[in-house]
Amino acid sequence: MIFVTVGSELPFDRLIRAMDAWAAIHPGEEVLAQVGAGRFQPAHMRWERRMGRAEYAAAIEAAELVVAHAGMGSVVTAGVHGRPIVVLPRRVRFGEVRNEHQLEAAARLAGWPGIAVAETETELPERIAAARAAGAAGLVVSRTAPTAFLARLRAFVLE
Amino acid sequence: MVATSAGGHWVQMRRILPAFEGCDLVYAGVGPTLDADLAPARYHRIRNVSRTDPFGFFVIVWQLARIMRRERPDVVVTTGAAPGLMALAIGKLLAGSRTVWIDSIANTERLSLSGRLARPVADARLTQWEHLSRPGGPQFWGAVL
Repeated sequence: MIFVTVGSELPFDRLIRAMDAWAAIHPGEEVLAQVGAGRFQPAHMRWERRMGRAEYAAAIEAAELVVAHAGMGSVVTAGVHGRPIVVLPRRVRFGEVRNEHQLEAAARLAGWPGIAVAETETELPERIAAARAAGAAGLVVSRTAPTAFLARLRAFVLE
Repeated sequence: MVATSAGGHWVQMRRILPAFEGCDLVYAGVGPTLDADLAPARYHRIRNVSRTDPFGFFVIVWQLARIMRRERPDVVVTTGAAPGLMALAIGKLLAGSRTVWIDSIANTERLSLSGRLARPVADARLTQWEHLSRPGGPQFWGAVL
């Protein structure tokens, strides 16, 4: 299952439209979308406006791949569940957000294991394919912090 | 001791637990009980304070004073937020603890308010974003992700 989430209540129809179009040409795929307050109603995937915390965590746990806005909440949640994630940053010019923090965060996240960045919605299909391949190869965010960080923290604690 | 509020802060704290392997580890958190898989470690429930809860400030000071006198932690580590900041301050004051502030990975553009306030009470103050580290300011040791 692929879980699509706009991360909050804020509409992000550009992501939802693109994923509905993707679902339309991949009829064998199970896709569940959390769409928030967007106007667009998907026709080719299951969707809900909002989800409780437990429901949200269950959807991520059940998903093979998460496709989301580039919010750190979504990225961290996918990471702790060991799920690969494709992010599409919300942009000011489409009225999706008030500043370009998501664009900047996405630029920094690009290249992290388990995280694929789609700069525009047209890049989503290839990023989805790449993230799935990475997930299948076990290249996902680990369940604990990186060893170097843990070692440095441990050295400080034991000092 | 790790002292951390709930949600994303707690999730990030869990990712650093391997750093404390072999230590006598005690937890403080705002939830009713400790995660089942971390039990039977000692757990202290503290008030989930925020800026909009001035009365809670007195409650958590009293709670943490009791906890720190009893536990006397050598080190207190937090991944935030306000309750973690209080734990660093009171641990340092009453138990002479060495303290570590780890700012949430969610703060990509600026250190959190609690992280900025932690400056005088954190022996190590860490940001998870390299571009936010400054000489004499927050340090970057890496991210928990």
